[in-house]
Amino acid sequence: MSTTRWPRYFILPVALIVLWQLWGMTLPARSRAPVPLDVLASAVELVASGRLPMAILQSLGRVGLGFLVAGAIALVLGLLMGFFRPVERNLDPIIESFRPVAPIALLPLAILWLGTGTPAAVFIVAYAAFFPMIVNTIAGVKGVERRLVQAAQTLGVPQLTILRTVVLPAALPSIFVGVRVAMGLAWMSIIAAELAVGSKGGGGGSGGVGEMMFVFYAYYIELDSIVVCMIAVGLVALAIDHGLRWLQRWLMPWAEQYR
Amino acid sequence: MAQAAEIGAPPARQWRQSTVFLYLRSLFALAIIWSLIALWVGNHVILPQPTSVAYELFRLVISGEMLVHAAVSLWRLVLSYALAALIGIPLGLLMGLWPWASDLLDPVVEILRPISGIAWIPLALFIFGVGNELPIFIITYVALFPFLLNTMAGVRTTDRTLIRAARTMGVDQRTIIRHVMIPSALPQILTGARIAGGAAWMSLVAAELIGAPSGLGFAIEWYRQLLMTPKVIAVIVVISLLGYLTDRLLRWLQRRLTPWSTGIGAGR
Repeated sequence: MSTTRWPRYFILPVALIVLWQLWGMTLPARSRAPVPLDVLASAVELVASGRLPMAILQSLGRVGLGFLVAGAIALVLGLLMGFFRPVERNLDPIIESFRPVAPIALLPLAILWLGTGTPAAVFIVAYAAFFPMIVNTIAGVKGVERRLVQAAQTLGVPQLTILRTVVLPAALPSIFVGVRVAMGLAWMSIIAAELAVGSKGGGGGSGGVGEMMFVFYAYYIELDSIVVCMIAVGLVALAIDHGLRWLQRWLMPWAEQYR
Repeated sequence: MAQAAEIGAPPARQWRQSTVFLYLRSLFALAIIWSLIALWVGNHVILPQPTSVAYELFRLVISGEMLVHAAVSLWRLVLSYALAALIGIPLGLLMGLWPWASDLLDPVVEILRPISGIAWIPLALFIFGVGNELPIFIITYVALFPFLLNTMAGVRTTDRTLIRAARTMGVDQRTIIRHVMIPSALPQILTGARIAGGAAWMSLVAAELIGAPSGLGFAIEWYRQLLMTPKVIAVIVVISLLGYLTDRLLRWLQRRLTPWSTGIGAGR
C-alpha cells in the first residue's frame, strides 16, 4: 500500500509551497514577507557561512549541559524516592509543588540570578528537563517487579547494590521515556530562553539559535532567515527524537512496549 | 490534595490527613531553608524572604491587579484552547476516518509539528505585533497538535468488532461514527485535551513574556525590570497555581466524562 500512496503525500505540501511562492510574487518588491525561494537562498547562505550550524551547536551545547545536570539529580533522587518510602513521602510534596511552575516563567529570575549568558539558559533547560525525568524514574522504579527485589534481598544483597544492579536496569526503559520527553522540552525551552534573553536582556547577546532568530527579527528584519531558523529548529527536534529512539532500541532491545 | 478525599473510605480519611500533614511539613521545611538562604544572600532584590513574597502576593490580590492580569491570561488561554479544539478535533476525526484525508494532511502536520510554538514567536511578532493576537496564535498552534493527533489515534483504535457488530445490525455509517467511534475515541481525545492544556500554559507564559502588553507573563517581566523580585515570585506562584488548577479541572473532566477509562493519567 505504501508504494501507491506515496505520491499523495506530496500533494498538499508541494501545493502549499507553490501557493506561498505565487502569493509572494504578487507582493511589492519592497515587501519583507518570506517567500520559499528567498528562504532557500537564505538557508544556503546561513549554512554556508557557518553561522547557523554554529548557533545550533551553541544551543545544543547548552541543552546538553542543562540536561546532564538535570539528569544526574533526577536519576539519583528518582531512584531513592521510588525505592525508599520515607524519602518519597518527604520530597514528593516539594517536587509536586514545583512541577506546575512553567520553566519559562522562571526566566526573569534566572536572568536576575545568573545574568543573560549561558548559565541562565542552562538553568532553564535543566529545570524543564528535570520533571519528566524524575517522574518517569520514580514510576519506573515502582514498576519493578517486587519478586526480583525480594529475591535479591533473600540472597542478602545490600540495599544500595540492589538499587544499582536490580532496580536501575529494570527501570531503565521507563527512565528513557522520561529522557525523551525531557529532551523535547529542553530543546523547546532553550529556544524560549534564548529568545527571551535576546529580547529582554538589553541586547547583551549570548548566541544560540533562539537569540539569532530574535536578532533577525529585531535588528535586521530578515524574515527569510527567521523561517530558516524555524525549519532548523524543527529539524533538530526531529533529529533528537529519532536519535533517542534509535539509542533506546540499541540499548534496550527488550523494551518493546515503550516505543 | 483534595482528590484524596474522593477515595472516601474511613481508613482512607486518616491516610489523607497524614498526607496533608506531610505536605505541609515538607513545604514548611522548604520555606525555612529558603528563608535561611535569603538571610545569607542578604539582598532583597536577588532573593526576598518568603514572608515578603506572601505579603506582596496578598497585596497584589487585594488590589485586584493580579485578578486583572490573570483574567487577561485566562481569557486568552480559553479562547485559543477552544479554537484549537474546534480545529483539531474535527480535523483529527477526518484524518482518522478517511485514509485519503490523513494521506493529504499528515505530511503537513508532520512538517509543522517539530517546530515548537515558541519558535514561531519572532515571525508571529512581525505578523501580529505585540498584542492579543500573538499569544492567541501561539497557544492555538501549540494546543492544536495534541487535539488532532489524539483524536486521530483514538478514532483509529476503535475496536473493529464494535464497528462490525453495528454494521451487522444495519446501522448506517453516520450513526456508527457518532455512536460508536466518537465515544470510543473520547478517552484519548480527553488525554489530548490534557496534554494540550499543559502545553498551552507553558507557551502562554513564553508568548506573554516576549510579545504581549498585558497578562501574567508580561507581569513577571514588568516587575523584574522594576527589580521588584517579591512581586515577580508572587506572579510565578499564581501562574503555577492556575496551571495546576487547569490540569486538575481537565483531569476531573476526564473522570467525569469517561469514568470507564483507565487510560494514561486518568487517575491521579
